[in-house]
Amino acid sequence: MASLGDLERTVMDVLWGADGPVAATELRDALADRDLALTTVHTVLSRLEGKGFVEHDDARPRRFRPRASRAEHAAELMHEVLGQAGDRQAVLARFVGGVDPEEARLLRQLLEGSAPDARAR
Amino acid sequence: MLPATAAALAVLAALLAWPVPALLGRARWPRRDPLVALVCWQAIGLAGGLSIIGALLVHGLAPWGHSLPEAGWAVLTGHPARDPVRGDHWVTLTLAAVLAAELLGVLALSWVRTARTRRRHRELLELVVQPSAAAPDARLLEHPAPVAFCIPGARPLLVLSSGMVAELDDGQLAAVVAHERAHLAEHHHLYLLPFVAWEAALPVLPAAGRAHAAVRELVEMRADDRALASLAVPDPRRTLAQAIVVAAGGASGGVPDGALAVGGSAVGVRVLRLLDPPAPLPAPARAAALLTAGLLLLVPTVLLLAPAL
Repeated sequence: MASLGDLERTVMDVLWGADGPVAATELRDALADRDLALTTVHTVLSRLEGKGFVEHDDARPRRFRPRASRAEHAAELMHEVLGQAGDRQAVLARFVGGVDPEEARLLRQLLEGSAPDARAR
Repeated sequence: MLPATAAALAVLAALLAWPVPALLGRARWPRRDPLVALVCWQAIGLAGGLSIIGALLVHGLAPWGHSLPEAGWAVLTGHPARDPVRGDHWVTLTLAAVLAAELLGVLALSWVRTARTRRRHRELLELVVQPSAAAPDARLLEHPAPVAFCIPGARPLLVLSSGMVAELDDGQLAAVVAHERAHLAEHHHLYLLPFVAWEAALPVLPAAGRAHAAVRELVEMRADDRALASLAVPDPRRTLAQAIVVAAGGASGGVPDGALAVGGSAVGVRVLRLLDPPAPLPAPARAAALLTAGLLLLVPTVLLLAPAL
């Protein structure tokens, strides 16, 4: 039994791979190997719509398309992480913040200076 | 009348609002034992809130009884005040209520806001990124900047960018993952929460910002220490330091945020600490620091509960 999160990702993969908007029946057929009921496809789609990842048009039957590409979502996330937008605490543990180029150079020198084999990086 | 108790609490509150955080913020021993220092900061934050609100309450409730519990009970049961209630009593009571409501409100608000942001990030991640086969809690995000972070919560997620993976060798990558796992395992986000609230509630208090920054830094050092203990590479300190320098240097280009420059020195301190580790705190010093933290909490509690001096 695949989790809902897994199904959501699979549906998004189909939508991202499609040339244009896709109807729910087409989605079901595209995922025939998973043997999904049409209601399941609709459930997943409405969840994705609720999260703001998918939108539908007014055609009959309704057709669905992603609101943003996979790369745009990744870029949005990275922008928030790098800019630490919003609550600074939300993404607590970014491994390190950036440093200015001068300090980065000093730190690299420090690292090389302390190397037992003086390995250059 | 409870003047001595209120005065003592006010003095304690003043000490905890300015000189004590300034001293601890400037001290050099915290980097020798980040965990003990974190305990001290928690005690300062809690005792500070307790004593400022307590001082206001004790003064405001003085006409109703000889101790805070007695006076509070008298008010709750509708007993009349035995001494005349003056304007300054009402002012301090109002201030106490406003301050308590603000502190707790900001705490709740930042909890909710943080939870919402985290959920959004998790949703985005789970959609955009395939779970990695090697580590079920780790995700690989396609992005050239070398970045690693984790999202705490009931279902924690650890995220590495493809840039990070490309820049680091296996040992360094293991060090990064161990560092992030340490944050998650010890719930470091909870250590930070009260200080986020303090800073948001009292932006005029310089100590609040300083405390928040110090706790952030200590949490990173603590995660470094935990990561070192779990690494199976020949020279874990160098490996972790290299990973930090690579990640810090690579992310500096085109990040539009002035706040990162402030974090710069913290990165330097971390690298120095790894390459040239300070001696661990001796056991008596550890015990003394923990004892002080305990006393910091005990003193305002006793002052609040004991009969008036």
